[in-house]
Amino acid sequence: MCARDHVGATVKTQPFLRSFVTPAALCALAFLIAMAAVLQYSLRAYIPGSLDPGGLTLANFTALLKPLYAQVFLNTVWICFLTASYTLIVGYPLAYALVHVRNRFAKSAILITVVTPLFLGEVVRTYSWIIVLGNNGFINSILLQLGIIETPFQFMFTRFGVVVALVHVTMPVMVIMLAAALSHIDRDYLEAAESLGAGRIRAFATVTLPLSMPGIIAGVTTSFAWTFSAFATPQLIGGGQVNMISNLVYQLGFASFNFPFAASLCVAGLALTLAVLSLLRLATRPLEKMGPH
Amino acid sequence: MSSTAADMRRDVPQAAGGAGDDIAVRFSGVAKRFGDVVALNDVSLAIRRGELMTLLGPSGCGKTTLLNLVAGFFSPDAGQVLIGDELVNNVATYKREIGMMFQNYALFPHMTVAANVGYGLKMRRLPRADIERRVGDVLALVKLAGLQERKPRQLSGGQQQRVALARALVINPRVLLLDEPFSALDKNLRASMQVELREIQRTLGVTTIFVTHDQSEALSLSDRIAVMLEGRVRQVGAPAEIYAQPCERFVASFVGDANVLRGRLDRVAGGEAIVALGDARVKVSAVPLTGLASAAAVDLFVRPEQMQVSDAPGPCASVGTVAAQIYQGGHVDLYLDSVDSVSGRLLVRLPGHEAMTRWPIGARVNISFDRDTAVAFPA
Ligand SMILES: Nc1ncnc2c1ncn2[C@@H]1O[C@H](COP(=O)(O)OP(=O)(O)OP(=O)(O)O)[C@@H](O)[C@H]1O
Ligand SMILES: [Mg+2]
Repeated sequence: MCARDHVGATVKTQPFLRSFVTPAALCALAFLIAMAAVLQYSLRAYIPGSLDPGGLTLANFTALLKPLYAQVFLNTVWICFLTASYTLIVGYPLAYALVHVRNRFAKSAILITVVTPLFLGEVVRTYSWIIVLGNNGFINSILLQLGIIETPFQFMFTRFGVVVALVHVTMPVMVIMLAAALSHIDRDYLEAAESLGAGRIRAFATVTLPLSMPGIIAGVTTSFAWTFSAFATPQLIGGGQVNMISNLVYQLGFASFNFPFAASLCVAGLALTLAVLSLLRLATRPLEKMGPH
Repeated sequence: MSSTAADMRRDVPQAAGGAGDDIAVRFSGVAKRFGDVVALNDVSLAIRRGELMTLLGPSGCGKTTLLNLVAGFFSPDAGQVLIGDELVNNVATYKREIGMMFQNYALFPHMTVAANVGYGLKMRRLPRADIERRVGDVLALVKLAGLQERKPRQLSGGQQQRVALARALVINPRVLLLDEPFSALDKNLRASMQVELREIQRTLGVTTIFVTHDQSEALSLSDRIAVMLEGRVRQVGAPAEIYAQPCERFVASFVGDANVLRGRLDRVAGGEAIVALGDARVKVSAVPLTGLASAAAVDLFVRPEQMQVSDAPGPCASVGTVAAQIYQGGHVDLYLDSVDSVSGRLLVRLPGHEAMTRWPIGARVNISFDRDTAVAFPA
């Protein structure tokens, strides 16, 4: 309601936006039709050997309850959770440095490093990780050369490898959101804390961290949603050993041509995403109160 | 409330021995530059224990920089900053035991009033019960009792100000630092906060450094004023002293209203000089005029309330025509056009409201000065 009023007001004050209304509505309509098609497919029976679906049924959804599929769902949530956590842990110091470093070159260097993943396609990025993580890859070669390990360390086809690559993918969003939150924290708050007897670390823990909480929540939530639909990364680095929902959809849809079942996976995946995000929101509500507003 | 104040009062040595250890903060030969900008240049200043010292000066003269040197947000390029007997040049802010009130208050927006005020005590790891009691006491002192659970954004500007003051005071700081604390308040609130701050500061006896560029605030609030210009302290003294005996042109024109009249040096005798202006011979201090030849042009600074107007013929310092009258309630400001004034205008402040009818616009008047109140500087 509020949002619509706002949009209405914006359109009124900026008349040129009016010309976007029709294309926007058309796009929305197209997406809606696609969603309806997926939903419709998910309720149809699968006829082996045929691309056309059969009659209405709920069988696809009951089949999802099999441990095999439930496992993939859990795995997906877990990978999203790990990715969001690691991205936060690595991204926070980066965002902090980005906001507080004075040197302009250092600032640009951080920004470029963090943002580059956005410019490379997911596939290119994933292949570079294969070069880094592979058994003959960058890390293993160095460790072998230095004699630290005797056999290559297995990164490829492991959940760890997938998460590492996904963290890289998610980093830009996280850092940008955290940096936005951090840059809104007035320096005076820190000086006030210090004048009251807080050392650097305590000032950070009692002032900066809680005040950046809205950014943390936004970053984690977005990373979560962002990772949920990951496809190329788990496909290439997981190599079938680490499956997320998208990979399962791909296998069922394009290897077995079981479109109805693939569609029901999509619907369930979407529902799960929404469920997890609302849970996340619920869980972070008390934390949000810590923020500035 | 008085018991509260007694609890919080620091041990202020009452003996007026004038001993060296009566100094709470001392700057000696302090310099600070930011890139090419010289913010402070060889500043030496001693602030006595328990006094309210105001740093007064125009924007950019280095007041905040000097204050921040006490707070420790950076260290001086040269010279020494001492708090008590301790050289603090390289002591971190959080170890300095100072209380600072920021211009925008800098209240932590995510904490309640109680948590804000108790923050410094929590950092000192006091037991919870003690914190609660002292927070309650200090909130009572600033007249905010009962607002513990509010968030800063639920308070008015004046209330936020009091919270900021309470937060700085509750830790019994060695020095209280206030950087233009009242600049964001409207005129009435500012006046009442000034009175209140003064009362609280007196009751607690806390050494206070107060920064302002508002000369009337400085005059009404301070025990002593340090007038600054371009990174230097130009004069230090009690408000009355600064007002009545400014040591240089800048101080005379920056503090209080002053009329500047061009006269001639008549003669110098001992510590006194006589300046001739019209028929008048005005006695002034000779110190600022040292080295001037007889008959040299000098500028006479006369306060508006030290001038008299009359329409009786006779000897006078100058003549003028009433150009405007401004009714101020308790007094009337008359603006006169006069050829002797350096700016062409003179401001005369007359008590009561009779002046409105007595000296209508266009009236020609003779101007004279109160005896021995003017100061003079080389033109
Ligand atoms: N962090 C800084 N970096 C660069 N220059 C600075 C910095 N802080 C102060 N300066 C400069 O030093 C000079 C003194 O600044 P300062 O803030 O002490 O002035 P001020 O007397 O407090 O002025 P105002 O009344 O405007 O607050 C100014 O010329 C200012 O531009
Ligand atoms: Mg300032």
